Amino acid sequence: MKKKVLATLLATAMVAGCLVGCGGGSDSGSGSAPATDSGSSADSGSSADSGSAADSGSGSEITDYGSGTITIWVAENTVEFTKSKADEFFAAHPDMAGYSVTVEPVGEGDAAGNMLTDVEGGADIFGFAQDQITRLVSAGALSPIVGDNATFVSTQNDAGAASAALVGDVAYAYPMTSDNGYFLYYDKSVVTDPTSLEKIVADCEAAGKNFYFEINSGWYQTAFFFATGCTLTYDTDSNGNFTGCNVDYASDKGVVAFKEIIELASSSAFQNGSSISAGSNIGAIVDGTWDADAAKDIFGDNYGCAKLPSFTGSDGNSYQLSGFGGFKLLGIKPQVDPGKLAVCHALAQYLTGTEVQLARYQAVSWGPSNLTAQQDSAVQADEALSALAEQLAYTIPQGNYPGEYWDLATALGDDVISGTISTSTSDDDLMSALQKFQDTCMSYAK
Amino acid sequence: MGLKAKRTIGNTLTYIFLIIISIIWLFPFFCLFLQSLRSYTEGGGGVVEYLIPKQFSLDSYKFLLSTSDSQFLRWYGNTLIIACFVALLQTIVVLCVSYALSRMRFKGRTFLMKFWLILGMFPGFLTMICLYFLLKQFNLTQAGAIPGLILISVASSGMGYYVTKGYFDTIPKALDEAARIDGASRARVFLTMIIPMSKPIIIYAALVAFMAPWCDYIFASYVAFGFSDSYNVAVAMQRWVWTNDYQGYFTRFCAGGMLVAVPITILFICLQKYYVEGVTGGAVKG
Amino acid sequence: MANDAKSGKSKVGQFFSGVGYDFKEIGLTFTQGDWKTKVSYLIMGFGPIMRKQFLRGIAFLAIEVLFILYMVGFGWGYLKDIGTLGTVARVMNADGTFSYNDNSFLILLYSLLTIILIFMFLFIWRMNVRENRNEEQLLAAGKSLGTIRGDLHSLLDSHFDKTLLALPVLGVFVFTVLPIIFMIFIAFTDYDANHQPPTNLFGWVGLENFKNLFSFGTTGLGSTFLTVLAWTLIWAFFATFLTYFCGMGVAILINKKGIKFKKLWRTILVMTIAVPQFVSLLYLNKMFANDGLVNTYLMKWGWISNTIPFWSNPILARVMIIVINLWIGIPYTMLITTGLLMNIPEDLYESARIDGATGFQMFRSITLPYMLFVTGPFLLTQFTGNLNNFNVIYLLTQGGPHSMELSNNAGYTDLLVTWLYKMTINDSNYRMTAVLGIMIFVVTAVISLVVYGMLPSVRDEEGFQ
Repeated sequence: MKKKVLATLLATAMVAGCLVGCGGGSDSGSGSAPATDSGSSADSGSSADSGSAADSGSGSEITDYGSGTITIWVAENTVEFTKSKADEFFAAHPDMAGYSVTVEPVGEGDAAGNMLTDVEGGADIFGFAQDQITRLVSAGALSPIVGDNATFVSTQNDAGAASAALVGDVAYAYPMTSDNGYFLYYDKSVVTDPTSLEKIVADCEAAGKNFYFEINSGWYQTAFFFATGCTLTYDTDSNGNFTGCNVDYASDKGVVAFKEIIELASSSAFQNGSSISAGSNIGAIVDGTWDADAAKDIFGDNYGCAKLPSFTGSDGNSYQLSGFGGFKLLGIKPQVDPGKLAVCHALAQYLTGTEVQLARYQAVSWGPSNLTAQQDSAVQADEALSALAEQLAYTIPQGNYPGEYWDLATALGDDVISGTISTSTSDDDLMSALQKFQDTCMSYAK
Repeated sequence: MGLKAKRTIGNTLTYIFLIIISIIWLFPFFCLFLQSLRSYTEGGGGVVEYLIPKQFSLDSYKFLLSTSDSQFLRWYGNTLIIACFVALLQTIVVLCVSYALSRMRFKGRTFLMKFWLILGMFPGFLTMICLYFLLKQFNLTQAGAIPGLILISVASSGMGYYVTKGYFDTIPKALDEAARIDGASRARVFLTMIIPMSKPIIIYAALVAFMAPWCDYIFASYVAFGFSDSYNVAVAMQRWVWTNDYQGYFTRFCAGGMLVAVPITILFICLQKYYVEGVTGGAVKG
Repeated sequence: MANDAKSGKSKVGQFFSGVGYDFKEIGLTFTQGDWKTKVSYLIMGFGPIMRKQFLRGIAFLAIEVLFILYMVGFGWGYLKDIGTLGTVARVMNADGTFSYNDNSFLILLYSLLTIILIFMFLFIWRMNVRENRNEEQLLAAGKSLGTIRGDLHSLLDSHFDKTLLALPVLGVFVFTVLPIIFMIFIAFTDYDANHQPPTNLFGWVGLENFKNLFSFGTTGLGSTFLTVLAWTLIWAFFATFLTYFCGMGVAILINKKGIKFKKLWRTILVMTIAVPQFVSLLYLNKMFANDGLVNTYLMKWGWISNTIPFWSNPILARVMIIVINLWIGIPYTMLITTGLLMNIPEDLYESARIDGATGFQMFRSITLPYMLFVTGPFLLTQFTGNLNNFNVIYLLTQGGPHSMELSNNAGYTDLLVTWLYKMTINDSNYRMTAVLGIMIFVVTAVISLVVYGMLPSVRDEEGFQ
């Protein structure tokens, strides 16, 4: 009986031992959390000359940048590209060569989620779609951009991109592309007139092909509501809090748009979706530039693209489909080491500069946000980008939206797809559904 | 109609039924196999609306097996490493716990068993965020995700002792007693008598432990995020279906699925006898 | 740590009288003990060391030293902040870098750990006192104390259980018990996307999260929670019993006299167990999609004119999930029941046949009662397992279709556990995750307790142990 003492002692000693051990390993303990960036601990010298370097991007005051690892997250198809450009950057800046770069394929959607889970474990530089920026700012996953760097953001990029990088009036990211919008890809042998939604649907029905439109996504759904003149925007402060919501979905024009969605969903040709390779038997699809290559593969000689069609609403008027014009951004996570911060800014600036944006367009067809790059003849001649540019004339620049909005829009779309709301639903019920939607949207702003 | 004729009709119907359900059970795998053989030139490697490829090719397999195109072999290796270590360590832990609970009577034994039973009623995903940060304290996330995942699987495996303990309970205690009268210690009895007698249950425990990591994408993706060298096959491959970044990866997903499923299935069928013994025993013991 | 749920008042009474006795003994040991024992009250293990019980003495002493080091260097720094969970959030420096300060997460985690370790230390201190008393009594009785060799050998023999269980118990403690306790406490904080360490702090909010779960206003989760809970129970019921009876049916057919290739049929079915579910279920999801193989072929053959919304219609999606779960579950039950069916004595059937019973009658009066009796506990574990059956739901529908009727991203096929998962992954809403986790525990525990008491075979099983 006595000897169980020993066993318990041993077990406890092990618990205590390993905890003391790990405590010592991570930090002195008293509450101050260390930033354990893989490999890059704060090093000598670099932290000494911090003081007044408000503009850390130009790095004029910093002489020793230190060393370490910089992790970059970008979409799968640009990993190789980004890696080679980062290498070029360090070759051109030997004073920063103490840093090595790892590029990981983490898509724009996953990147934001992962950064939110653990800021410290996240990448130093990461690409994300604009809709994530407020979440990231309020979770403290983005480093503000000030001084010359902020000027770079506002002067080098088109106005929409520059404002997309702002939360409140502080810039938090470097615009990377201006092509995060959607338009129509279609099979020329199926769709005869891509300017009319009704005709597209009828053509697809007749040919037994599918027409893809992701109506249960808050991003694509707005094409209808904004077309009839509805608004849905949020006001934010510079900490990423939502302070106000401007929405008028619960109105006659909202009902017209909503009815058109329901009408579309009732077609046998309709499929919910926006990914070429996940769809099958595609006659036409509303999708973005990132799928241009896949679309060319699928449609072959019959490849066609155009701005979104217009539709005749239940009130007899004709409306041009609208939607969001969005942007892809490159953000920097908050750093504890000024040397590394400066390197990150310089690298991010390089990766979103004129030269690299053009090269990226040539490598993976991403439409540039940089003003000079946009003037390039190849970019100007690009079919998909021209279709997008045409469409962008009818869209609103995408602002900041709370994460719950996207869930709510999915719920609204799913109600249509599942038939809970159908063509036989009365106008009053449609209005009350929209009223509920609108009220819930407003409840997200405090 | 004679009894014999009746039986013949009954058997024929049974055969028909068995053939139908066999087809239902095998059909999805057959589809998966066909899709994995489709050439990229059809539908760009994405989903298509027909079953039989117009052009067969091994493109997808070549892509997966070439180290320059993809990290698939690395992910496969990671999963294999995790599976082997988990199978080994988890079996050892389970055997130890089961022997202690089956053969020895000590203070706190029933408390321990009831406490573990209660713990098991909490959903596993509840503690995901906490486990992530715990592992991070030991530097076992991202780059260290593989040992981290092994540690997590093994650490809590003591709670899954039911089946093995049930098996030990059926080995007569008189054998132990006899050996102990002859002067053998508990440890000796355990190592030289009980373990050799428990071959079926050991194989069962190891097999179950070996198969689990192949399907683990939830916790694995949570621990390894942003560090593709640490991914396992499930984490890497579910992105090919769920993430829009991967255009035209559907046939590769199917091919990868085949590469994962075939060896495990063969292993499983070889060890089927032990598996059946394990689940049957476990079910009766509750 | 947790009191045994089923123990009545008598056990609680026992516990308190035990504590009372303990204090009495501690006092007695001190007054009656020699100076070595008295010093041991402050310096643990002093007595045993002086009595040449070096291993034990040094072990006690080492524990005390480690504990003090831990408390001074680590534990106290966190424990002192448990009331507020930190006061200074991250600040931005003039040069654009950030300084991280209090981390509420680590404060709570390590505070809980420290509290547990303090209790463990008190327990060991108590053992230290008793050790001294025992040694004194042994010496007084003229007996010799044990040797180090004897101590070590006992760990392989009479105390072999300690050796076997030390590591597993430690593992369960660190990676299961501690996280669960932590998450239970999280249910009383505002830890979510807007209060996420190390950037922001989180703090205590009392019962607010529970109120939110049970509030039925426009912003509350009440009605969504009830919908999801109801579907969880319905799902678990059908998933358990349909697979059970269908699996048994298939097993009976394969077992039937005169059927050949028994092993082949079994092997074909069993393959689904071996193939990882993320492969087979993701594929099935594509297959039954609106634009998937099944719909396309049915349309092509002219059997349907509109696609069948397998996944997008709430009711159909629920039915599909249950049906596909049969595909997953039948082989498993088939395996289990096959062996058991063969255990039923053949002469029972013979005599029934002589009495002129039909096949179905025999099934109802012989097979079924026997099977239910033997597999009762198995059905219970299956049921509670299905309550948390994540893969089937998540890989097939991810909880969808969603609806405006349900809030917080819940869908019509969401189980409590998939909803919990989505809250963690998509919304970083850990506070509600924790509350939901506790609710799942409550549901599982209540069902287990109620059903367990009703099982006919329970008493026999207990007798068996």
